[in-house]
Amino acid sequence: MTPPVAVTGLGVVSPFGAGVKAYWDGLAAGACAIRPATLIETEGFRCRLAAEVPDGVGGSVRRSRADRFALAAAREALDDAGVGRRERAEAALVVGAVGGGMLEAEAWYWERHRRPTRAPAVLRSTFPSSHAEALGSVLGLGGPRETCVAACSSGAAALALAADLVADGVAPLALAGGVDALTRICFMGFNALKLLDPDPCRPFDRARRGMSIGEGAAFLVLERADRARARGARVWAELAGAGMTTDAYHVTAPHPDGEGMSRAMRGALDAAGVSPSAVGYANAHGTATPQNDRIEARAIRAVFGEGRLLVSSSKSMIGHTMAAAGALEAVATVLALVRELIPPTVHLEAPDPDVAFDCVPCTAREVAVEHAISNSFGFGGQNVTLVFRRA
Amino acid sequence: MRRVAVTGVGVLTGAVAGGADAVRGLLAEGAARAGARAPGEIPASTLTALFDDDDARRLSRACQLAVGAARLAVGDAGLVPGADLGVVVGTEFGDLRSTIEFVDGYLGRGPGGLSALLFPNTVMNTMAATTAIAVRARGLSLTLNAPTVAGELAVARAASAVRAGRVEAVLAGGVDQLDPVLLEALAELGDGGDARSEGAGFVVLEPLEIARARGARILGEIVGSAWRALAARPHGVGRRAARASAIDAALGQARVAPAAVGSVQVSGAGDVARDRWERTLVERALGTHRPRVGMLAPLLGRHSGVAAVAVAAAAMDATASGAPALVNAVARGGTHVCLVVAGP
Amino acid sequence: MEPKEILDELRTILVTRLKFDPRRAADVVLETPLPKGVEGSIGLDSLDFIELSIAIEERFGIAMDEAQDLAPHFASLDTLCRYIAERMAAP
Repeated sequence: MTPPVAVTGLGVVSPFGAGVKAYWDGLAAGACAIRPATLIETEGFRCRLAAEVPDGVGGSVRRSRADRFALAAAREALDDAGVGRRERAEAALVVGAVGGGMLEAEAWYWERHRRPTRAPAVLRSTFPSSHAEALGSVLGLGGPRETCVAACSSGAAALALAADLVADGVAPLALAGGVDALTRICFMGFNALKLLDPDPCRPFDRARRGMSIGEGAAFLVLERADRARARGARVWAELAGAGMTTDAYHVTAPHPDGEGMSRAMRGALDAAGVSPSAVGYANAHGTATPQNDRIEARAIRAVFGEGRLLVSSSKSMIGHTMAAAGALEAVATVLALVRELIPPTVHLEAPDPDVAFDCVPCTAREVAVEHAISNSFGFGGQNVTLVFRRA
Repeated sequence: MRRVAVTGVGVLTGAVAGGADAVRGLLAEGAARAGARAPGEIPASTLTALFDDDDARRLSRACQLAVGAARLAVGDAGLVPGADLGVVVGTEFGDLRSTIEFVDGYLGRGPGGLSALLFPNTVMNTMAATTAIAVRARGLSLTLNAPTVAGELAVARAASAVRAGRVEAVLAGGVDQLDPVLLEALAELGDGGDARSEGAGFVVLEPLEIARARGARILGEIVGSAWRALAARPHGVGRRAARASAIDAALGQARVAPAAVGSVQVSGAGDVARDRWERTLVERALGTHRPRVGMLAPLLGRHSGVAAVAVAAAAMDATASGAPALVNAVARGGTHVCLVVAGP
Repeated sequence: MEPKEILDELRTILVTRLKFDPRRAADVVLETPLPKGVEGSIGLDSLDFIELSIAIEERFGIAMDEAQDLAPHFASLDTLCRYIAERMAAP
């Protein structure tokens, strides 16, 4: 068992707008931010929807859209945790990212396809590591810096890596999370794979037809629980354990039995020293593809048994925010513990009989739970489970 | 805390392909070849010889580089693949060739020109995913992205995972490939002047007692590893007077005094401002002590696979001299990695 | 379109979209099973079939309805050729 790691700061930019409050208000109300996409061309694609972040995040337009999201969410988290300049110089930074500044790079490449066009300065921010470079420089973070790319589980993987750094005493505190802006490549690719629903996604519904793409950022401040207490910080929750596994099965398809997924859940519970029966809620990966939801439900059942556990998918409201998803959903999980309210799965009208759980359809539920997990899976057979404990 | 043994190396570049013996050969030739232009693209024939038809069809070129080097490393370590093998891959550019091919399909032919097979390669973790499948690694799988030092970062992260007992054995290193569009954009943006090259390389790290128990050949031991962010603007170099906290931390963890360091492998590859910064950082950390400095760039250029060769070279240096060797790497933007490698 | 033409087009797709070696694609006969795991097959997996669907939609101008179970049509080039011919003939 690793030393307890406390969550002392939260910051969010979501399709509900900037800030943790807008995010939680949206989740608690069961609102849906999935609408016709406006940022990119969608002509000729089966699905033309996305959950875009509304205007109002701010930041210099010379930065990539994703960097602006990351900075806003990271600043909110550091302020929330009351982390000062001096402490930041020692702080670790772990960013989960996939798209980087690809939205802007695509704009250049599309133009270059029509006529010779010189590379603009924003192209320097194309790769995923750009977010960490920008955050580290602007916020003065001098501890270990990492950018991890784990497809749709990137944000959760970043939190797991940061928790290791804190638990091992490598850094006194860490800022960690995930960020992604919508990109043409992501939108086109999932369309090509026929994994997008033409209507807003319906996780765990019998008639689900695929996911909806979203965008956003979330960052959390993690520190040793004893340190947080000593400095009188408010502790939102504890990140009690994490499990990371690989299917080593197929580049896109999950293992049909969800073997890697259940191994991640068991590993996280073991690391936390928590028995399955002590967990009351699972914020599912819940993408709403026919395959994911069926296999994830099977994997959850293998670990927790049938029935008792409440399971919901935030993606029904904010879409699949890619590299941000694991971090945004970690925030949802933490707030579910704190507010004693389980966010719902919206658009869930006819539950899939293969999903042997109460998936909290349409309306949030008032339930106090001691432990909750957040699942995040990604292409490449990447599985991450985080276990949170009520403070 | 467990001790971290280096039990194998696998490298696939234009200059060298093979395990520890191939690396030893490259280093022995090194003196004669220093000053020659760093090798560029890896010839297609090198790859076709390594893969059967099914692999060749399914794996993009970047994935072939990673899988090829990983198989060489696993073979070099005499490792039996198992559930606890992990993979940590560092990459600077990912599989950009596939990403561009994917986009070109759309720009040329519309939605019907999009390739489902190429799409997964647009995400940087595909090299780690295909490697995990190829060597049946079902433990931790990580892809770390960073400018120029991603391979060293991957080795440092993997070493800390072994040290903390989170993995039993791990392949750690990196992969990068060159792409014409990338090179053109880098030139237009003013890329610092590194001799960019391509290739893949991995080391196998495992707990020392497990390596000994299975009778593995031990190349060396990673006795210290740390990574920190130096103050710098993105893509810029920082103040030369900065404290090299990654070196201090790695030496502290290794309980090695600066004066005891026998040699240093530096990441310098032709970017004058960054290379000068790195030299100053190393000198500051080591005080008046001036150990021998090795540089692989003249032999291999700069890509994320070089880290594995640097670790193997440091282990060989440390074995020969009896003094621990450093592997140091600094990137524009401030990511700084340091490994302390001792002989077996 | 003649069955022979459809077959030739599918062979081309195997090379251009599914990256088969041209000699391997030329060896594929009507009866060769497609799905991975079937004796004597050319080893296509789920992702390959999506690629094949996209290519067929693009080349033959028909829609592959994924709500339907397409597996029987993807059994061999023979079943696939028939399916494509049927769909092209349909109004």
